[in-house]
Amino acid sequence: MSVAQAPSPVFALRDLGYSVSIREGVREILAGVSFELAEREILSIVGASGTGKTSLLRIVAGLVAQSSGELSFRGVPVSGPPLGVAVVFQDYANALLQWRTVAGNVLLGIERRFSRAECNDRVASALSLVGLERHARDYPWQLSGGMQQRVQIARALALAPSVLLMDEPFASLDALTKSSLQDEMLRLRDETGASFVFITHDIEEAIYLGDRVAVLRGRPGTIAECHPVGLGRERDQVGTRAAPEFLRLRQHLHGAIGAHA
Amino acid sequence: MNARPLLSGLGGIGLFLGLWQLIIGSGLIEYDFLPSPWAILGGLWAMLGDREFYEEALHTLAATLGGWVIAVVLGVGLGALLGSSTTCRRYSLASVEVLRPLPAVAFVPLALLLFGFSLQMELLVIVAPALWPSLINTMEGFAGVPQRLSDVAASFRLSPIERLLRIDLPAAAPSVLVGLRLSLSLALVMSVVAEMVGNPQGLGYGLVREQQALNPERMFGYVLVIGLVGVCLNAILVMASGWILPGQFRRPQAGWDTP
Ligand SMILES: Nc1ncnc2c1ncn2[C@@H]1O[C@H](COP(=O)(O)OP(=O)(O)OP(=O)(O)O)[C@@H](O)[C@H]1O
Ligand SMILES: [Mg+2]
Repeated sequence: MSVAQAPSPVFALRDLGYSVSIREGVREILAGVSFELAEREILSIVGASGTGKTSLLRIVAGLVAQSSGELSFRGVPVSGPPLGVAVVFQDYANALLQWRTVAGNVLLGIERRFSRAECNDRVASALSLVGLERHARDYPWQLSGGMQQRVQIARALALAPSVLLMDEPFASLDALTKSSLQDEMLRLRDETGASFVFITHDIEEAIYLGDRVAVLRGRPGTIAECHPVGLGRERDQVGTRAAPEFLRLRQHLHGAIGAHA
Repeated sequence: MNARPLLSGLGGIGLFLGLWQLIIGSGLIEYDFLPSPWAILGGLWAMLGDREFYEEALHTLAATLGGWVIAVVLGVGLGALLGSSTTCRRYSLASVEVLRPLPAVAFVPLALLLFGFSLQMELLVIVAPALWPSLINTMEGFAGVPQRLSDVAASFRLSPIERLLRIDLPAAAPSVLVGLRLSLSLALVMSVVAEMVGNPQGLGYGLVREQQALNPERMFGYVLVIGLVGVCLNAILVMASGWILPGQFRRPQAGWDTP
């Protein structure tokens, strides 16, 4: 190892495979998955339904062990959920505690670690970031699906994580809320320097947010392609989406997602 | 809560009692030992003047609650263990399935042999069957905690205790509370059974004594009191459940029926 080495990436996956045993034997879900997530980077991962995006996210989050290959977080092999990594799950209804209010849910990750005043501050600012400050005392089942998903996002943000792993977080939002949260996410990255793994099946969203877009494809799923997004760090909802590079990538990815490996 | 079903329900009971009174009063049917509701009310009124009756009621209440607490502590503890650990479940589910269907009354002779006519005997007769509803429901509640909630607990790096208190227990609470309620009504039934055949104290003993003394009014009075105790205990627990889970559960509550 050389001394003047580049800092280790946030996450590094090498030849990662994942299989589960089912009644008929073993089902291979992921195979040969390799990528790195750099500091301050947003890596979008797109893929059709059932290609293993959620499985991949659970492995990266340290929630389940891979069956083969290597996974490390800042140079250290992952053996459980690492500190400073927050997850936003796809199925918000299962991920929220139905018996806690919105504020109570946002408190879950921080209540043991900080003073009450600090917690209140964090809850208030996380909720206002997702536009739910007026619903702090509601219960999750009193909110719409999109609002519940925003509670989950606020809960992750309250941790002030250095890495966010998000599984189709904006899928259930209306266009307006979606683009406002997308821009909020970009701003957050600039302000806090957090890194993101952003899973989606919305190609435009993947390009708009991503510094790179990876395509998960095949059975078992693997990262078939990975494209840098040549749009610079500054993005805006109208201009960026009309840029030639955006349109070119979009067209390419449309074909790439469904292509046979 | 809507008051209308309650009113209609009371109306139904009133109609039934009215008919009963009418049939006995008119001499349409005549049994030596089937008193009219009015006569039973008289018997009940007389009982209320007896000091003995209150002691009996207190004894049954104490035995029921005592037995219930023991059953619940054991049942919820074991149920939580079996529900959270697949390994534990694999090794003990067979024993559970063998022990559980044993008819509750079958414990009476054993308990009598072990403890004679005593409170211990009564408690054993209560605890052995009342354990199961708590155990089974708690186990199912814990086993049914969604995988995603376990993910959330792990990803927020909760300690095992925090996880138990903040995620598993509240998630399983509706199911656990159903178990507690079923155990309580069973505990009352079994304490009365134990007093009728074994431990000569309490409301169950009073019932048998009045029957042997050919006092059907009072005997029915005891039946009525036992029923009322059951209704009240259940109502208290239902209210407590509503207080513990302040209406924020989407999951519909299971039926209120007893086993
Ligand atoms: N525990 C499991 N047992 C058996 N098969 C599983 C299990 N978990 C996932 N799978 C299978 O793995 C594949 C990928 O599942 P996964 O949830 O990761 O897909 P996904 O890309 O997130 O899909 P979606 O876009 O619909 O959310 C699916 O075909 C699924 O059936
Ligand atoms: Mg998924």
